[in-house]
Amino acid sequence: MTEQTYRVDVIGHQWAVELLTRQHNGGRMPQSLLLAGPLNVGKATLARHFAQLLNCTGDGKPCGVCRSCRKVVSGNHPDVRILDDEHETLKIDQVRDLQHELSLSPVEGRCRVAVLCNFERATAGAANALLKTLEEPASQVVIILTAPDPAGLLPTIVSRCQIVTLRPLPADQVQAALQEKWGAPAAQAELLASLSAGRLGWAVRALTDESFLERRQARLDDLRDLLQMHRAERLAYAQQLSRDVLALKEALTLWLTIWRDVLLLRSGSRAAIVNHDWQDSLQLLASKGSVAQAGEIVLKLQQALLNLDRNVNPRLNLEVALLRLPRYAEF
Amino acid sequence: MKVSCLQENLAKGLSIVGRAVASRSTLPVLSNVLLATDGDRLKLSANNFELGINCWVGAKIEQEGAITIPARLLADFVNSLPPERIDMELDESTQTLHLRCARFESNIKGIDAQEFPVVASASDSDVAIKLDPESLRLMIKQVVFAAATDESRPVFTGVLLQFDADKLTMAAADGFRLSVRSAVLNQNVADTLEDAGLAGNGAKAPSLIIPARALTELARVSGEQEEPIDLIVTSGRRQILFHLQDIELVSQLIEGDFPDYNRIIPKGYSTRSVLDTANFLKAVKISHLFARDSANIVRLEISPSGDELMNGRITLVATSAELGDNVAEIDASIEGDSMEVAFNAKYLIDVLSIIDSPQFALETSTSSSPGVFRSIGDENFTHVIMPMHIQTR
Repeated sequence: MTEQTYRVDVIGHQWAVELLTRQHNGGRMPQSLLLAGPLNVGKATLARHFAQLLNCTGDGKPCGVCRSCRKVVSGNHPDVRILDDEHETLKIDQVRDLQHELSLSPVEGRCRVAVLCNFERATAGAANALLKTLEEPASQVVIILTAPDPAGLLPTIVSRCQIVTLRPLPADQVQAALQEKWGAPAAQAELLASLSAGRLGWAVRALTDESFLERRQARLDDLRDLLQMHRAERLAYAQQLSRDVLALKEALTLWLTIWRDVLLLRSGSRAAIVNHDWQDSLQLLASKGSVAQAGEIVLKLQQALLNLDRNVNPRLNLEVALLRLPRYAEF
Repeated sequence: MKVSCLQENLAKGLSIVGRAVASRSTLPVLSNVLLATDGDRLKLSANNFELGINCWVGAKIEQEGAITIPARLLADFVNSLPPERIDMELDESTQTLHLRCARFESNIKGIDAQEFPVVASASDSDVAIKLDPESLRLMIKQVVFAAATDESRPVFTGVLLQFDADKLTMAAADGFRLSVRSAVLNQNVADTLEDAGLAGNGAKAPSLIIPARALTELARVSGEQEEPIDLIVTSGRRQILFHLQDIELVSQLIEGDFPDYNRIIPKGYSTRSVLDTANFLKAVKISHLFARDSANIVRLEISPSGDELMNGRITLVATSAELGDNVAEIDASIEGDSMEVAFNAKYLIDVLSIIDSPQFALETSTSSSPGVFRSIGDENFTHVIMPMHIQTR
């Protein structure tokens, strides 16, 4: 029986881990780092991996056994501050508190590490307040920002950081990880891996969220029903679903992947389809419509998703999207 | 754990460590205070990762043990108790502390002491610099108020401690004013510092930056101390520890370079005025009433008498467009040219309030160069205030 390890392992992104480890070992660890890449692709995990590496006191850093490594995992390390509220905006007071903390010498580690997750949620004031610290951090400070897209941040922030852009992982790597590390059954792992679009974090969340697959199945059934409904019924459905914006987003995202698959099948593409388990229905849909029609629905659904982030009335938004769907007497 | 101690002692100990309790923290245990038996005393300890305080109070220990208890609740509770004996007993299985005093009894739920981050403590092997508490308190009083309170330049929220052979200098600045005070130590500390890994850097004397708050707390908790205070820099020069008789105060250091303050202190002057501290303070306070609404500007018109036997005078002028104005006149012995300079009245009040000598000297050159304040009969104190811009009519 091996000793339990608390090491934060990064799955995939080998090149990024190697790059940063090499820089660290050579004493050239960048003090201001921006990890970019899609949501849930592994940015925060990589950041925590480096927080461990920077303060590890054992051999083979990060060892995952020493006190420091364990504290980083439990979130109790006095020198490692991780701000990762997902939905809250990051306010100027939080940045000021952080700056005060960063100005002090480390309590027990070698350096103070600040990880600011999803930095696009920072207010303009908060981002501007951080500029000075990013530009010339004290010698014992490392600041790691993460964001889906550097273009969403102030250019003055981006230009002060070394940028490392993480790319989506190959589906088989996600599948292997789900099976080995999280003990998922092969079939489920394969489905989640292809649904995840290379975002392991998303796949793990879907795996541990027991109702996820049930919800997905329900939305697939809904889609089947919708295609047979007439307008009034669709509007009634839209009214009901649009009450919960998160569920609405989830449904639109799912339907978008369905119509993407339909488009691929109809146009005879060999690119892998995502929703294997719905293969028969996809084939049926593809046989009924044209390439142009499938393409248009994909665009509409995409537009509807974008609109949600732009404060469009969710109900109207969904109604417009649903009315574009074709109506089949039998499906 | 089974301990008894007097209410007065416990209340005092809790008020001493109370300032180091974290008010909001990601770690719940940091808003607790640690109670632990240590020999024949009870050790109280609080830590917010910036400042940590240990305090020992006399107690009768019947059974050893340790627990952390919510600091706010415990302090409020103990402060409300009558001045009698408090008996405390810990129920290990539920981590609940049972307190009994006079006719009050309570159970307070705690958190396991293992989770409490240890506050560094002095050991016999540490090399200490001995400081006279009286002069240390004076230094803190005369320097700390000049430190900045906003975080835009972190080094300015701290106080610079500089060691030069047998001299200790403290300096603080906030961009508008600078306060410097030095004191002679009764030992040459160069070797001691070398041992502590705090060697100087070439021509620069060894130095540290301590958060101003830590020094304010040190002055507060050292109020009754008469024995010398030990100053210890922990290995890796990341913390500074002040060891008092029954108290230890540990502070993180501020990282960064403190600017060379000597370059801010003007080398010469064209006018030197010697004034009575108390009278001038009173006049400035009156002027401040009128200056409050106009950026605290107080104009000083310095006019020498021209006759050696006569005193010169300084006229303080404060004008508020809405309220009115005030003119105060003060006798002073002035050498040099007549001139005009304006200062922030609040800064004047701050510095005049901490000058101990009955007289002080104000050295000025032009209306746009800084004014230097020195106390007469005490060479070790220097204060510099940047002037305010005044329109020449």
